[in-house]
Amino acid sequence: MADLGRAALVVSLGLVVYAFVAGFTAALTNRRRLAVSARNALFSAFGSTAIAATVLAVALVRHDFSFAYVAAHTNRTLSTPYALSAFWGGQEGSLLLWLLVLTGYGALAVALNRKLLRDLTVWVVPVLGGIASFFAFVLVAVASPFATQTATLDGAGLTPSLQNPYMVAHPPMLYLGYVGLAIPFAFAAGAMLSGRTDERWIVATRRWTLAAWMFLGFGQLLGAHWAYVEVGWGGYYAWDPVENAALMPWLAATAFLHSVMIQERKGMLKVWNMVLVALAFELSIFGTFLTRSGVVNSIHSFAKSPIGAWFLAFVVISSLFSLGLILWRLPLLKARTRLESALSREAAFLYNNLLLVALCLTVLWGVLFPIVTQLVKGETRTIGSPYYDFFLRAFGLPLLLLMGIGPLIAWRKTSARTLVRTLAWPGVVTIVCGVALVALGAGSSRPGLIAYTFSAFVLAAIALELIRGTRATGSLTTLISRNRRRYGGYVVHAAIVLLAIGVAGSSAYGSSTERRLTPGQSVSIGGYTLTLQDVRRRHVPNATETRAVLDVTGGWNGTISSGDNQYVNPPEPSREIGLKTNWLRGEDLYVIADSANPTTKVVFVKVLVKPLVNLIWIAGFVFLLGSAIALWPDAREQRRLVTRLAPARAA
Amino acid sequence: MSTRSPARLVVALGVAAVLAVFLLYTALRGSSTPTLTPSQVANHSGKLAVVGVVVAPLRGDSHSPGGLRFGLKNIDGRSSVVSVVYHGENPPPLFKVGRNVVVSGSYAHGRLAGDNVVTKCPSKYTSKPAA
Repeated sequence: MADLGRAALVVSLGLVVYAFVAGFTAALTNRRRLAVSARNALFSAFGSTAIAATVLAVALVRHDFSFAYVAAHTNRTLSTPYALSAFWGGQEGSLLLWLLVLTGYGALAVALNRKLLRDLTVWVVPVLGGIASFFAFVLVAVASPFATQTATLDGAGLTPSLQNPYMVAHPPMLYLGYVGLAIPFAFAAGAMLSGRTDERWIVATRRWTLAAWMFLGFGQLLGAHWAYVEVGWGGYYAWDPVENAALMPWLAATAFLHSVMIQERKGMLKVWNMVLVALAFELSIFGTFLTRSGVVNSIHSFAKSPIGAWFLAFVVISSLFSLGLILWRLPLLKARTRLESALSREAAFLYNNLLLVALCLTVLWGVLFPIVTQLVKGETRTIGSPYYDFFLRAFGLPLLLLMGIGPLIAWRKTSARTLVRTLAWPGVVTIVCGVALVALGAGSSRPGLIAYTFSAFVLAAIALELIRGTRATGSLTTLISRNRRRYGGYVVHAAIVLLAIGVAGSSAYGSSTERRLTPGQSVSIGGYTLTLQDVRRRHVPNATETRAVLDVTGGWNGTISSGDNQYVNPPEPSREIGLKTNWLRGEDLYVIADSANPTTKVVFVKVLVKPLVNLIWIAGFVFLLGSAIALWPDAREQRRLVTRLAPARAA
Repeated sequence: MSTRSPARLVVALGVAAVLAVFLLYTALRGSSTPTLTPSQVANHSGKLAVVGVVVAPLRGDSHSPGGLRFGLKNIDGRSSVVSVVYHGENPPPLFKVGRNVVVSGSYAHGRLAGDNVVTKCPSKYTSKPAA
């Protein structure tokens, strides 16, 4: 079995290297049959990689411990879904998943565009072949998932905290996002290599970018929710380098998704879009380098791995390639039109882009800071949450405001008077909300109050747009179906508003307290009183559970338990939080019981009240809904595109 | 105003503003913390973080006046042991001897008074142990 997997990977490497070399030769010499051959090699590489992936998946499900990878990441007690999730739980398997998704995405994107954009796809194939060659080489020569050993009776198992449904879905979501960013990058590079720098590459990859962005965004929220319910520290995002590694390309891709609209409509920002798509792709690879190199200290990874050097080399080479291409094609990337006014929708998009890129670079600076200080001062220094929180407020709050202004402002230019008239109703809603919030006590946190009032402004602006549009078309569904991209975008904006309210509520207005308790003693917080009833221990298959049982009165009446599990195989502990979502009050009661002792009946309890935190998770589903609306096939748009692309194709 | 100038001006001002804020923040606030290995910590004092592997003996309780006491060595094992006394919330459940951790706190007189412990999250990749 392992030999089959190994052989399939070697075949994949040969095929993608062929797609790279033959593809470039065919594109340079205009040899059509060779180009078709290179394209077919890319398609076949997906097939051979799928064979390799199947071999690993079967080995995981069958607990075949002659595979070193299977023995290192699973054991016999794991159920099939968790055994399969070990596919992406380790370095080698996750790289194989990366190659599988890349060749699959690449084959599909090239197949779908090979007729309409033939002049571009002949260049896209070698670019994708080059990227895939790197991953296939690493899998064959550096980190093979098919290393074998003498079969052991059982494996090391999967850490208990990873045996969680969120961890089954979270990593593959991120990979679908990271790898998906390679498609717009390859088409952008293809457009520059072919000299066809019109808007066709953007149109062809719009849905690919949107899908990758959706997966990356939703994947991060899944990870955040896993951290919240499973890790048990009371938070959901710690600004850790590995978490930031997913955030940075998402921010760059968000900027790109907005700025391409300007290029599509006005022929502007061509260089900027090339820079953004390259930045998003490079950051996705750079994030992988961070995760696996051990170059920065992270709660997720300390291990130094030889794979990091390969990723760094790839980031450097592909960045130089992107930069060189952009500089080479600068004369072809001149804007067709120009920004006419600083008070226009184009300008609002530009401000949005600057803020998003500024936030992205700020996070990048925070991640790189330890490396820079080590190089400059010979001492590693890290910057923590206060730095990131400061810049999140500095750039995030204006971004939130722009989400409300952008959709209402006219294209080309608008006067200050018209702008004031347009923003009057959302403005009134904002002021009323602001006053009400202050009256309700939200003024205790200025950033929280600003976030809430700006959120009210954005929601009012979206509602205004929907009301106006529905009046004009007669129904909301007709309105949305006529321009799915636009209204899907508004739903995504609503999701971001929910996210902002959830983050502001849980961080700015949350409260916590800690107490040592014995039975009968109580702790009070935020209208809740928690009284320790008992500390219990019981043995269940594969674990010993210790729980502090607390009676809750006040804001909610009931019982809540928290403590820890000590597992037998693997011999790891896990913290088990007590969580009660109080939908009536719009908050979570979150209990962490430390050192619960069933003999002395003493426990150290930390209780947190997290207002509006559940809006963050709800935002994830609204985000998915909006993205799905924008992604949904649109026959009218397709007809428009065919008409629009036909002259360019004929030319 | 020329038709081209607003975009360029906005970009230039935006970039300049971002850079300025970066420099001001990192220079004036000075919120960075030295993150050292046990072998580097000897010549330092004050607020810092130490990255290392937990070594036995592990004694006490983070909630007790005497605190939780343990040692830290370089992850590769090649260093002397730094003594740690940790007070505060219980360390994360995965904390144990042999685990890689980051301990933040104040270092003085050869001892780190820790107030925060972060253990390696099991969700990512580990290198293979040396043969």
